[in-house]
Amino acid sequence: MTALSDVITAVLLPAGAVFCLLGSVGLLRFPDIISRLHAASKAQTLGLLLILVGTAVQLPLRYAPVLLLVVLFQLLTAPITGQIVGRTAYRVQAFDRGPMFRDELADRLARDGTPVDERPPREDADR
Amino acid sequence: MTRRESARRVRHHWPMVGWLWLLWVLLWGSVGPVVLVGGLLVAVAVVRSFSLPPILPGAVPRPLAIGRLLIGLLKDLVVSGTTVAWQALRYGERTSTAIVEVPLRVDSDLLITAVAELTTIAPGTLVVEIDRRRQRLYVHALPVRDDTDVDRRREAVQTLERRVARAVGRGRRTGSSGDDTSGAVGDLGYSADPGYSTGPESSDDPDQGGSTP
Repeated sequence: MTALSDVITAVLLPAGAVFCLLGSVGLLRFPDIISRLHAASKAQTLGLLLILVGTAVQLPLRYAPVLLLVVLFQLLTAPITGQIVGRTAYRVQAFDRGPMFRDELADRLARDGTPVDERPPREDADR
Repeated sequence: MTRRESARRVRHHWPMVGWLWLLWVLLWGSVGPVVLVGGLLVAVAVVRSFSLPPILPGAVPRPLAIGRLLIGLLKDLVVSGTTVAWQALRYGERTSTAIVEVPLRVDSDLLITAVAELTTIAPGTLVVEIDRRRQRLYVHALPVRDDTDVDRRREAVQTLERRVARAVGRGRRTGSSGDDTSGAVGDLGYSADPGYSTGPESSDDPDQGGSTP
């Protein structure tokens, strides 16, 4: 029993750590804010989830619900901040159109007569 | 008068009261009479003092479908988490993205919020804009290389939408009194819109090709 849970923990904790690490790598390597949000909020969520499950296996059963709550609220709150930041980034044009294969929101806005590309491209971009 | 008003609110919000109660008990970590009674009091007080829109008439939770939704969500989380991680490692700056317009069939604040939330939870997709009036989500998707990917992403979100509608579905804005007879899972609760199809061609695409540079 303990051997089994040890194995589960030994697999899940490093896996979670790897996902967190990859999230940070994505944060560094992706080209613009919105892409970085993918890495920052998502890969890390999965990482945290794995780590908490790995931890829950080791703890007495009565602590498991609290860890479950941590997972739940992480899952509930992370997308909200992600969406707010992404939406703001889109609205102030603080993102890179280079890697964008298609932008149906811009198409829609153009059709409605409010083109998003009205502003000149930023020259003081940090990258 | 206000007394009856808030009592009614508590009755309409009993799922919220129950959830807050459960949360209280879980956080205390013990089940004593003081914790139970205190939790119930706190839950009722919270619901009475903050007016949130009632969820009960609009949503009918179906445990089995909710379970399926959660399992699907976990699978998505792992699969696309791996995809995004691989993108970060392999491509990094040269990754390819797109903003995909997803027409939705559900037409209730609760369900659209749920779909947007769950879409954003899954790695690789992030809701940038919600068009409530036209029932559209604009989803930023991470590895998108061609048209097939765009359509695949759109369908993925719509599949999720269908799952959500099955799980808590009524899809009406506020349910009328005769609503609770909807036992049939086959009737998903969202309005059948003839102009809507799950395929790549959506209801108002004729000018789409022209406006893309």
